[in-house]
Amino acid sequence: MRLLTHNMLSSNIKGVTNGFPLLIEVEKVVEKQVDFNEDFLRNMFPKIEWKALVEASRTMGYTELPENAESSMLDSDEFLRKFHHALIELHLEEGALVCPETGRKFPVNKGIPNMLLHEDEV
Amino acid sequence: MVGSCSSCKSGTTLQWAPGHPTFISRVQIIGRNEPVVQVLSSAGSDWTKDFGTGIRIRKRRYITAVSGSGGGRRMRTTVNAAATETLQKGIAEFYDESSGIWENIWGDHMHHGFYEPDSSVSLSDHRSAQIRMIEEALRFASVSDDPMQKPGQIVDVGCGIGGSSRYLARKYEARSQGITLSPVQAQRAQALAAAQGLDDKVSFQVADALNQPFQDGQFDLVWSMESGEHMPDKSKFVNELARVAAPGGTIIIVTWCHRNLSPTEESLRPEEKELLNKICDAFYLPAWCSTADYVKLLESLSLQDIKAADWSAYVAPFWPAVIKSALTWKGIASLLRSGKSNVLYNPINRIFSFILFLVVYVVLFAWILGWKTIKGALAMPFMIEGYKKGLIKFAIITCRKPVS
Repeated sequence: MRLLTHNMLSSNIKGVTNGFPLLIEVEKVVEKQVDFNEDFLRNMFPKIEWKALVEASRTMGYTELPENAESSMLDSDEFLRKFHHALIELHLEEGALVCPETGRKFPVNKGIPNMLLHEDEV
Repeated sequence: MVGSCSSCKSGTTLQWAPGHPTFISRVQIIGRNEPVVQVLSSAGSDWTKDFGTGIRIRKRRYITAVSGSGGGRRMRTTVNAAATETLQKGIAEFYDESSGIWENIWGDHMHHGFYEPDSSVSLSDHRSAQIRMIEEALRFASVSDDPMQKPGQIVDVGCGIGGSSRYLARKYEARSQGITLSPVQAQRAQALAAAQGLDDKVSFQVADALNQPFQDGQFDLVWSMESGEHMPDKSKFVNELARVAAPGGTIIIVTWCHRNLSPTEESLRPEEKELLNKICDAFYLPAWCSTADYVKLLESLSLQDIKAADWSAYVAPFWPAVIKSALTWKGIASLLRSGKSNVLYNPINRIFSFILFLVVYVVLFAWILGWKTIKGALAMPFMIEGYKKGLIKFAIITCRKPVS
């Protein structure tokens, strides 16, 4: 699971007011090289919750992303590469996503998160 | 309170309280100002079967509303979460078991092809027919190709092994999220995406379509290709589709429905229900609804540009083709053709070995592929019967979420 996906997932457990962003528990991180696509990054940038991305990437062991970001920074090649790396190239292979309010863990196995809720969480 | 849950036999009078659990299926409201109900019958329909073990388990029904004060009025009830969880497990295991076989013979699209009515098709035409189904659905819903208006984020609800997700992501150069109950499918879907260089464009999660793990308004295109049949709560299913759709986004549902009821009908005829039950059992489907029911649900959510159509005529060649492909399954067919042994040149030996082979084939098939897959395969003629009788409809329903 890459952080681009993490940026879209939220916990919908009954009673939770804000299930986003999910905290990350890391067991295994893998870095996979992906071709750099500037247009894609520019298109994605306005849709990304930046704080969530920074937090998540730090949990995954990548500390290069700036705390805050504005669209003007997209002109910097260096910034784009860091953005690309954090968003697309970091993979959580094994671990869990954690609901920020209830602490409930959604397991991630072989890169696939399991977001199924239990009977009492619906 | 008069009477109690465990003694809900006919004739018992209960004081109703909201959420009061009962094991009854028909009640009569006898109080006018107070909600006092009399149990008319404790019918066996409170039981369901655990799809995995076959053990009967009790469904608990809750009185959710009291309507009218006449006799014999049916209470609106909800099937509780335990029954739903066993259905989910059954669905997941069915697809865990059978996805690989399907992919081997049919490829990565697990849906009907779109054919010219009354055409005869060969096995090689089916893949392009499946692609055509996707394109026709997009056209029906008027999804734009225009770079400024085409979808940027897509959700594939009930994504199978990701055929649609990958196709749509490629077509619109968009990002696609797929959700499925089957971990095996999710893994396979991601592997195929990686192999096709789409690893950064599509991703898959194990998740429930009735509780999608996404925030509101994320997706420009909400795609449900032949997954609606599996949803035990159609209202919740449609609600979730609408919730995750972005303002101005498009929702496309392609699904199996039963025929619309006439204004005087309260339900399908008994023999129709019987046929559907056989199919439900084999394919892990909950109760069916009609196309009109879907339209009503979309209308109730104030969605716009609602369109619906019956595409049964365009999918008619599909099930016969699936049956044929199962009977001429590659490995077995090639084994028969190989003619390795001289023994087979003798006609008597041929007949004998053919019969023996059939028996071995069925037993082996069931053992290797699993009973769930066999059950599914054996139900295919019922689908054909359902279509022929006008009971089963292949429906498309599309709409748009308002912008404001």
